[in-house]
Amino acid sequence: MPAPAMHGEGRNGVPLRTRRILMHAGIFLTLVLAWEIGARAGYLDPLFYPRPTAIVDSFIRIYITQGNIWRHLYVSLGLVFAGFAAGSILGIVLGSLVGFNALARRFVKPYVLVLEATPRIAVAPLLIAALGFGAQSKIAIIMLVCFFAPFINTLAGVVNVNEEKLELFNSLGASKFQILTKLVLPEAVPVIMAGERLALTASLSGVLVAEFIQRDQGIGSLILIYTRNLNMASAFACIFTLTVVGFLIFKGMEMLDRYIAFWNNETGMARVGAARKARWEN
Amino acid sequence: MTLTKVLSTAAISAACGLAAAVAVAQTTVNMINPLPRSTNFFPLVVGEELGYFEEEGVAVNLLPSDTSIPYVAFIQNGQADLAMLDPFETVNALLAGADINTVFEVMQNAPEGIAVPDASGAQSVADLVGTTVGLVSDRDRAFLQAALATKGHTIDEVDTVVLGESGPTLAAAMRDGAVSAISGAAPDWIALIANGIGTRLITPDELLVSPANTFAMNVDAIEDKRDAVTGFLRAWCKGMHAVTVNRDAVAEILKKNVPEEWEIEAAGQLYLDMSIGMNVSVTARCGDTQADVWAAIQPQMKAAGGIAEIVPVEDFLNDTYIEAADDFDRAEVADEINAWAAANM
Repeated sequence: MPAPAMHGEGRNGVPLRTRRILMHAGIFLTLVLAWEIGARAGYLDPLFYPRPTAIVDSFIRIYITQGNIWRHLYVSLGLVFAGFAAGSILGIVLGSLVGFNALARRFVKPYVLVLEATPRIAVAPLLIAALGFGAQSKIAIIMLVCFFAPFINTLAGVVNVNEEKLELFNSLGASKFQILTKLVLPEAVPVIMAGERLALTASLSGVLVAEFIQRDQGIGSLILIYTRNLNMASAFACIFTLTVVGFLIFKGMEMLDRYIAFWNNETGMARVGAARKARWEN
Repeated sequence: MTLTKVLSTAAISAACGLAAAVAVAQTTVNMINPLPRSTNFFPLVVGEELGYFEEEGVAVNLLPSDTSIPYVAFIQNGQADLAMLDPFETVNALLAGADINTVFEVMQNAPEGIAVPDASGAQSVADLVGTTVGLVSDRDRAFLQAALATKGHTIDEVDTVVLGESGPTLAAAMRDGAVSAISGAAPDWIALIANGIGTRLITPDELLVSPANTFAMNVDAIEDKRDAVTGFLRAWCKGMHAVTVNRDAVAEILKKNVPEEWEIEAAGQLYLDMSIGMNVSVTARCGDTQADVWAAIQPQMKAAGGIAEIVPVEDFLNDTYIEAADDFDRAEVADEINAWAAANM
């Protein structure tokens, strides 16, 4: 019986990570090939599913030869990050307030839950009417989409603080500020960061809602033009762009999570431990 | 410092000051309409490319939107100076008490229409009775209502379904026979035709001559914004005139400025041809308000149930800007579009 592979090493000496990447690439290419064959053979409706090779052509056109996607991408990403920042700050601040204060929890939480249950697409025109056309109302729409996850996660993180640890802090005479900074926030950060990940990916949906209503520019507006013109290959290129952007954003947030909540992972602990050791030695 | 240097410095300072003053003098005109810069409204794109709006001291702030709030609300609350309204929206806004005037007819041939598949047996809207008709948006219901009324039918005699603007949905509904016809506008058919899905229009002749996408303004703003709106409309008219001089140059301008509508060349060319038919004014003066046409279409609109009352045309048609907007040198525009073509094609 062969010995089990060492950690990080697969069969035939191929590193596990490389094997996984190759397997993912194989699955992806098989799916794309099946799609191409299905489209060419007429099994897939060309009105809805353009050939992958046509989508590749569109990618080249909109990114390189024509280059018209860049300004739309720039506009959409600007809105995404602005709306995410505004929604996150509001969610975390309000979530902390509601978490720490029972009175606020009683009176604010129901309104937030009702707001969450209200479809954003119904509220969006009212926001435009109230705030006017332009970036401000789009950011408000995205903020509304992003706000809930940070709010609810911050609230959960603050409310569900470990009772035993809290008792210990109290018995040692810790001040409220010390309890907040040394206990509540460190305990809540991983949960808050999970909310941030959800919020940032949701912000992409938010920007689409905003741009579908205010159609001046942005990826949402571009998708509408392409679908209206039955140019589905370019529409898919825009949609896949959003998929990739969403994936990168998610991975970026994961990395940020590992960096900020370093005590939750071995690599982070090792990094901070090494840094602190170096500081002490100096 | 020599006198020459002093004079040079003074001249440069004066030039910079003048340039700054000109830049400051730009007045923003906010316009709400359904589409971003598009072949559908090529006079705007051409006017901007050739610098006509800038020359008039106007910066155009386009507010393209698809919102459930009526456009007229945005001119009433001051967010928009001009709103593109169709006749039903105009008359209903007036009946609702909105103090607005129609000051310019962007399109004098209605883009709205009712299309059936090429193979359909329907020859008139009367043949649609008892079938399901697709609407591109809810705004197209009124047009279908008016079309049916011309043949003595009502909207209750057909089933309607809102399909949305998405090309694939419209195309599939038409191709697969999910609907007998689609009530929409010219841009909705272009993609279908360009992709080989044959369509035929059965729009009643009575409805073909109708203003569309007319510019409405708050009465209070007409004097306040006179200079800016006059300049805006003159620049629009110049852009409109340019296509009658050099269509190919206009096509190139559109390819450059709205490339996403021209990735399929045939669709772009078809779009431009249709847009020329709708945008180039048939009146002697560019964008002139046509009292006789508005008087003729309102009874049809009322009979169709699209409006409750007829509004006297003198209550809302206002040609106060038309004379000045139409006052430009056609030969100069011809030279400029040809010069652009020479430099860019």
